Amino acid sequence: MSNQAFSVLGLFDNAQSLLDAIPSVKSKVSARLDAYTPYPVHGMEDALGLRKSPVGGMVFVMGLIGAIAAIAFELWTEGVDYPLVTAGKPVLSWEAFIPIMFEVTVLFACFTSGLGMLFLLNRLPLFRHPMLRSKSMPLITKDKFALAVEADGQPLDVDAITALLRKAGAQAIEVVEQPAPPDPISPSLLLKVAAVIGISCLVAGYVTYWGVKLFPLSIPVVHMLDQPRVDPQRESSFFKNGTAMRMPVAGTVARGHLPFTVPSQEEAAALANPLPRTDDVLKKGRQAFATYCSVCHGILGNGVPTLTSVYGAKPANLASQQIRDYQDGKIYYVIMMGKNAMPSYAADLSEDERWSVVHYVRVLQRALNAKDEDVRKETLK
Amino acid sequence: MNENGNTRMLGVAAAAGLAGVVATGLVAGWERFWINWIVWFLFVLMVGLGCLFIVALEHVVGATWSVPLRRVPERLSGLALLMAPAALLALLSLPVLYPWTKPESLKDPVIAGKAVWLNMPFFSARVVACVGLWILAYRIFVSGSIRQDRDKDPRFNVRARRFAPVFMIIFGITITVVAFDWISSLEPLWYSDVLGIYIFAGTFLAGLAATMLAVLYLMKRGRLPGVKPDHIYNLGGFLFAFIVFWSYIGFAQYMLMWYANLPEEVFWYKARLQGPWGPLILLLAVLHFLVPFFVLIPRSAKSRPKRLFWVAVLMLVAHWLDLYWMIFPVLRQGLLFSWPELSFGVFFISAGLLWIRRAMTGGADMPVGDPFLREGLEFRL
Repeated sequence: MSNQAFSVLGLFDNAQSLLDAIPSVKSKVSARLDAYTPYPVHGMEDALGLRKSPVGGMVFVMGLIGAIAAIAFELWTEGVDYPLVTAGKPVLSWEAFIPIMFEVTVLFACFTSGLGMLFLLNRLPLFRHPMLRSKSMPLITKDKFALAVEADGQPLDVDAITALLRKAGAQAIEVVEQPAPPDPISPSLLLKVAAVIGISCLVAGYVTYWGVKLFPLSIPVVHMLDQPRVDPQRESSFFKNGTAMRMPVAGTVARGHLPFTVPSQEEAAALANPLPRTDDVLKKGRQAFATYCSVCHGILGNGVPTLTSVYGAKPANLASQQIRDYQDGKIYYVIMMGKNAMPSYAADLSEDERWSVVHYVRVLQRALNAKDEDVRKETLK
Repeated sequence: MNENGNTRMLGVAAAAGLAGVVATGLVAGWERFWINWIVWFLFVLMVGLGCLFIVALEHVVGATWSVPLRRVPERLSGLALLMAPAALLALLSLPVLYPWTKPESLKDPVIAGKAVWLNMPFFSARVVACVGLWILAYRIFVSGSIRQDRDKDPRFNVRARRFAPVFMIIFGITITVVAFDWISSLEPLWYSDVLGIYIFAGTFLAGLAATMLAVLYLMKRGRLPGVKPDHIYNLGGFLFAFIVFWSYIGFAQYMLMWYANLPEEVFWYKARLQGPWGPLILLLAVLHFLVPFFVLIPRSAKSRPKRLFWVAVLMLVAHWLDLYWMIFPVLRQGLLFSWPELSFGVFFISAGLLWIRRAMTGGADMPVGDPFLREGLEFRL
């Protein structure tokens, strides 16, 4: 018998005598007590004075972290990093976040309880636990109940404990030895493990590579190519008339594109500019004018453009008396329908932009025909 | 105060409540009268049905831990019988509150399509059939159990266990009928498949809360000898689980309708989220889920009488709030809470308590003739 005992086991015939023996042993021994029984015995944890399991607290904290992490991640991705409207819902739709938060909470909590219990608290796997070599183990798994006094760092006084357990009613005593420390991992073992992993990877890689290469179109592989689709300039089988999309219902109007029904420029004079003359509108008009109109009419609108020599026609001077006398609607009509060599800009400018351009043209006209009172008093000084 | 004094006090309260109930009809109008009637009769009915379900659940799974407590839900399930005349009386509310009873509603194709189900004769027949099935179940489970106190005949257990699975089907159908008929058809354009399960969750919770209160009351007076914290822990665990279940179903119903955003579904929620109902649903989420959930999380909380008492009271209050939130917005009049609601509450609660007080005289406080009683008393977690 080595002097390094891991524990001293006292075997009892039934659960009650084991429970009765615990207080007397506990009061005389400072070493750690443990019990091995064939089935869970009620009241054992109180008798042994085991501490309350921390699993509940761990699960609660990790579940809370899971919930907060999920909701924070969703808020950040959906609200800050890449706001994306999905299914016409507001960007920060908390309703949609709840199921994910719930799942992540459960995931964190389950992993914590399962893995935390197995590895963190129970320190499994314990292949070399001394109790596994105990001769009493076959009995304990059958019909004996064992009380163990375990060496908790300090060496055990085997004889005193044996006497104590006998006095407490133990039928048999066994001293479980501390096994020799495990062999260190040898380099040759490491090499073998590495070789096995490496060879497995190579085999798996080759099998996958050749498998995909030789049988690329086997049935389970559905290729994106083989699906109903629309090819450009080709007839489609989607509808009987060969189109890929349904024709809109007769009379359908696109949003923001009400049909323009004014028949002539003269009648357009009655149209009123719906936009107020604000800074924002004028800025919008200036931008649209610079983009679309200034190429021909010049950046000042005076008909002196950058393209005159190349372009045959002579663009109108927007500051001329004729156009200054135009009502807003008449200018709008020209933008809509074009005039002489000027094509329609209806497709390029939205309704708001057209009316903004009209406002801006008025600004240009005034600027090119400025009167004394248009100049600010401060600048005159 | 002695027991007779309590009875007298309850009688006085019931009479005062009845005066308020009658005054509601005469002063505040019959709409207000019937809507209160529906809410309160469903409240008491659901407590009774929940208790009947708890009794049946024990028989269907063959549980023994709950045998010492079984007499409590058995007696409380008599509330379902008390509400049988209330249900028949509530048929008078159909022309006042339920839009599908009005002939002009049949012009709506949706209501016309539902007319096969929603018509006065069939509705009344369903109410009578449901009440009849509940009385049948009560006679088999409860009357049989009380008879067993005297004759100690174990054949009762066999009969109850054979009938219990059948009752589960009956219960599932009748509780869905209650949900669809009394609650959903208040807004006949609306439909929700899951409402039956939602109402079932509320019913089971209400039954558990009432059972918990009654068990704690009897334990305090020493009338349940041998019932340990372990039994209470199981009841508390049930309560905890079904608090989560109720919230899960409630949120699932909301989220699916919110996602689909179909006009025929969301209008129900719109009426129950706008104005004062918005804060009310938040309050419901806090009282029906957040508070009891976090209060019951610690393991020790589920066997602490004082904490469980307050959680059970809270669950009953929240259950009433749930019914109030579902039913009262039908009037489209905002939050109505004044003397009519209070007098209905006083009347129904004191009448229910008087009824239970009378039921307390039937049989012993525990099912003394049940052969599983001893096993149930020895139950340990």
